[in-house]
Order: sequence, then structure tokens, then C-alpha cells
Amino acid sequence: MAKESTFSEQESLQLIAEMIKKAKGSYHDTGIGSLLWGAVVAIASGVNFLQREYDFKLGFDIWWLVLAAIIPQVYISIQEKKIKKAKLYDDDLVDVVWLVFGISIFAMGFYQNFVPVQTEKFIAEEGWTLMKHYSDGRPDEVIRPFTPSLYSIYILLYAFPTMVTGMVKKFAPMKLGAIATYGLFILSLFTESRYDMLLGSIAALVCWFIPGIILRKKYLRQVSVNV
Amino acid sequence: MFKELDPILHSQLRLAVMSLLISVKEAEFTFIKEKTNATAGNLSVQVQKLKDAGYIEVIKQFKDNYPQTTCKVTPEGVKAFEAYVQALQQYLKV
Repeated sequence: MAKESTFSEQESLQLIAEMIKKAKGSYHDTGIGSLLWGAVVAIASGVNFLQREYDFKLGFDIWWLVLAAIIPQVYISIQEKKIKKAKLYDDDLVDVVWLVFGISIFAMGFYQNFVPVQTEKFIAEEGWTLMKHYSDGRPDEVIRPFTPSLYSIYILLYAFPTMVTGMVKKFAPMKLGAIATYGLFILSLFTESRYDMLLGSIAALVCWFIPGIILRKKYLRQVSVNV
Repeated sequence: MFKELDPILHSQLRLAVMSLLISVKEAEFTFIKEKTNATAGNLSVQVQKLKDAGYIEVIKQFKDNYPQTTCKVTPEGVKAFEAYVQALQQYLKV
């Protein structure tokens, strides 16, 4: 790049194309975030399914694992920001989409926990209760209000930021993961809620864990080229 | 009638810098140095020329107690780059 004097118009165009290619291919996500969230959500959903399928307790709520993953995520984000030397135009958009997704997931958590309690309170005020009535003569059971097939909505939410990221970053594994997750969402509408957990676990693998492995490989390949 | 090529952009290193910056929102000086394989001294001079022409913005700040120089293309720079590419296409009849 030392020559300054004579270079032709053709060389100029070649240089522009080469530099644009270099800039576009300069940055790959480290993939650690995708691997972390893919693993954590897949484990939490999978264990939750096994708990319900085989009726055992762990002594703690497995979903706390998802909450705990925020700590390493903050560390990962800080480290990634440090090593990132160029910011692309679509980086802010993708960051905002994932932030909104995080807020939505937490809002769903509140919805899941507060709506049944509030509903129970309201129906108690009205002086009635929800009962499970068996048609085979077994005695009726009082049941607490719940949000039916809520995990289907979580699965639907998983697909949204994944699809946006896949489309914006032109990253096919995430687009395919999101499409597969929309399929899992539809399937979850026809399954019992415990199987929704299993479908959620698969969704986390296809949306984040598998694309995370691909991103990590790409990133490590890029790092080894630059060394 | 051919348009005259912008002399600020018709220089290998400056054009390389502009081509990089047009593709990203902003980039650190070290990133530009790495991608252009230029020396820090030469790059500093060319970056200053682009800045003086109003084509790029140079932000100097501290990151983790180290000085950090970030460059980003200005709207004027985008216009000049587009005009330069159009002029090139005219020359080459692309």
C-alpha cells in the first residue's frame, strides 16, 4: 500500500472491491453467546421435561440456570466489545433485537407467575373455584388457574430474534434454525405441555447451539488466519 | 466529457481507507492499519488528509487507559466516494 503515484482506474476499482470484501469479512461473532444460551435453555427445558416425565425434583428450579447465565453473558459482551475493532451498520439493530427479546422473555416470566395468582384472587372474590371434573366418577379436584401451553409462546419468541439475526447477518444456520423453530411452535400447539418443554429444548439447540458451533468454528478459523 | 477524478481519493492508501470505512459504521485506527498493511506514520498522514477534506471524522478517546482512535466516514465523504466511483465507471465504461 506504499505506492501513491500511478495507479489506473481499473486498479482503483479492484482496490475498492478488495477493501470492501476485507471489511465485510473482517468480523465474525465469537459464537460463545450463542453456545451459552443454546446450552442453558436446552438443558433447562430438557431437565424440566424429564422432571415432568419421570416425576422427580431437583431441589431447585432449573430455570434459575437461565437467570444465572446473565452473569457470564455480561462478561462475554464486555470481552467481545474489547476485541471488536470495527462496528458494522447492522450491529446496533441486532443488539437491540436481542435486548428486546430478553425483556420480552422476562416479561413472560412475570406473566407466567402473576397471572395465575391474580386470576385465583379474582375468582375467589367472585366466590367460585376452578374444578377438575372427571367423567369416570372420580371425585372432583380443585385446581389452581394456570396459563395453558405457555411454553409454545416461548418457542415462538425464540424464533423471532433468531430469524431477524439470520436475515440481517445473512447467516443461513440461524434462518434455518428459526424456520425449524416455527415448525416446533406449530407442533407444540398439539402436544401436552411437558412435551412442549422437550420441543423448547430442541428449539434452543437449532436456534442457538448449532449456529453457535458454526460461528465458533468460523471465528477460530478467522483468528488462526490473522495470527 | 469525463469527470475529473477526486485527487483526495485517487491515492491508493486514502482510497483503501475510504473503501474500508464506507463498509462499516466505524473502525479503529488499528483495524484500518491491519487491513491496509500501511505503516502507522503513513496512515496517520493520509487519515489527516481525509479528515481535512471533511471526508472522515476522527474520534480520539481512551479505552481501558489506552488511547484509541476511531474513524468514521462523513455524509460528505459518502458523496465524494459515490462521485469517485461514478467517475471511475465513466472512464471504464462499466
